[in-house]
Amino acid sequence: MKLKKIYICSFRNIEKAEIYPDDKFNLIVGNNAQGKTNFLESIYLLGTMKSFRLARNPELIKYGNPFAIVRGLVDNEEVLQEISLSIENAGKKVRINGKPVTQIADFFGCLSMVVFSPEDLAMVRGLPDLRRKYLDRAIFSSDISYLSLHQEFHRILKNRNNLLKREDRNGLDTWTERLAETGARLVVKRVSYIQKITKLLTDFYAIISGHHEQAEVIYRSEVMKKDGTAGSAEEVRLSMLELLHKNASDENRRGLTLTGPHRDDINFSINGKSLKFHGSQGEQRSFILALKMAEIEYIKKLNGNPPILLLDDMTSELDMDRNNNFMEFLKIKDMQVFITTTSLDNITLSGIQNYKVFPVRGGTILQ
Amino acid sequence: MIYLSKSLTKLIGELKKLPGVGEKTALRLALHLLKSPANGTALAESLREVQNSVRFCSTCYAITEDDPCYICSGSRDATAICVVEEPQDLMAIERSGAFKGRYHVLHGALSPLNGVMPGNLRINQLLERLRGGMVKEVLLATNFSVEGEATALYLTKLIKPLGIKLTRLAYGIPLGSDLEYVDTATVQKAVEGRNIL
Repeated sequence: MKLKKIYICSFRNIEKAEIYPDDKFNLIVGNNAQGKTNFLESIYLLGTMKSFRLARNPELIKYGNPFAIVRGLVDNEEVLQEISLSIENAGKKVRINGKPVTQIADFFGCLSMVVFSPEDLAMVRGLPDLRRKYLDRAIFSSDISYLSLHQEFHRILKNRNNLLKREDRNGLDTWTERLAETGARLVVKRVSYIQKITKLLTDFYAIISGHHEQAEVIYRSEVMKKDGTAGSAEEVRLSMLELLHKNASDENRRGLTLTGPHRDDINFSINGKSLKFHGSQGEQRSFILALKMAEIEYIKKLNGNPPILLLDDMTSELDMDRNNNFMEFLKIKDMQVFITTTSLDNITLSGIQNYKVFPVRGGTILQ
Repeated sequence: MIYLSKSLTKLIGELKKLPGVGEKTALRLALHLLKSPANGTALAESLREVQNSVRFCSTCYAITEDDPCYICSGSRDATAICVVEEPQDLMAIERSGAFKGRYHVLHGALSPLNGVMPGNLRINQLLERLRGGMVKEVLLATNFSVEGEATALYLTKLIKPLGIKLTRLAYGIPLGSDLEYVDTATVQKAVEGRNIL
């Protein structure tokens, strides 16, 4: 997938810009607070309708303007499509090839991308919720049916929690069974996704770090077996039911569902050591970068078409070797990359023929 | 809104409570009724009539004027009962003509979030009917939403011990539709629930 042209109008601090990116490397260079990440964010919005900085609509519109527009021309296996996104305070509207999009499923997949930004590092040290959200989103981008299962589970969970807070708990068994049934399917999907990307993750981590270490994502759940596998959906369902019965008195007291995928976590580890407690900043950064690359490779395997990679300020905190390793790796991949950086010196450009540099100054993107 | 008259404002206020009717539609309806008094009178009369004569059947809780309703009092198969959430679900199944038995309307589905508990539904009345010993099959036709599925499961737990045959509506690809246009979750269910030929 390649982005051939981007048109931006009154988005954040960018008044107007029309950019023709390179098929390979695009370097967005500028000092702090000039609009580099805004540019990256506009691309991300085109593919997901969401901001990776979790911004609300009014924040996305340049001050004093009624709306913002981002338009992109996407080359997907030599089929050109125009995605047009208009942002107003009240909401966002998308048109693909001039036609309004009514079903969200029609929109996803038009422009798939993976972003790596400093915010992602919070995932390593932060609360489990951040890691669950990452995992859920990653699975969803390769399996659309995961979304409806996820919604179904949370609806059941809300009903069950509500019931636990009541005096009259008639029907609790029913909600418990439904929870275990959908919860088990959710856990199995998560575990199987992690299994699929673990091999890729170790490979990519070795490429970036320069030496072979076992990088792993481990799914943490009470329902897992002792050997670290989940088993079949039926096995998970039964062990979840057992735990729900065991914790019944705790649940009654606290009025909360204490077992299920909504309480699970994922651990990142290198050679068996927890990344959260033993990993350096550089190791954490390399790990998350490798994780994102694994996600890209997996999507590519499924769709046969690699997504676009957005790297927000990725070079800071990686040492020269790791940086070079990563650039060498990107060079041989057929993938469009957008990188923001404060200085071109941070990036090894030797041996790269196909690249364009876009200096950004005070909201103006130069070509 | 500009104040017109007390009674008109009141009428608009009442119309606005109806589902799907907002401020502007309510005003338009009220002015229309005002302009054609005959229509207004007929509407008022039919409203009063409906309220006086229409009630729920004391057996199946469907909408009826005569108690028991024509389905319960007729010669329909009394050994099969189809359980639905709302009266309009009953109408949908009746329109199809595929079901020859009798009905039971729950008037809702379990939803603690919306404050609907088993006691709020006509579940005890259903069990009472089943204990009569006539019924051989119960068809659960609650919706395929989270709430509808939970209700079906709740009823299964209650009815199974009675030794009555329990069935659930099948789900899958809508008739006359192209497979390629059906959403993935439905296709998944259809494949899982495939039939042997």
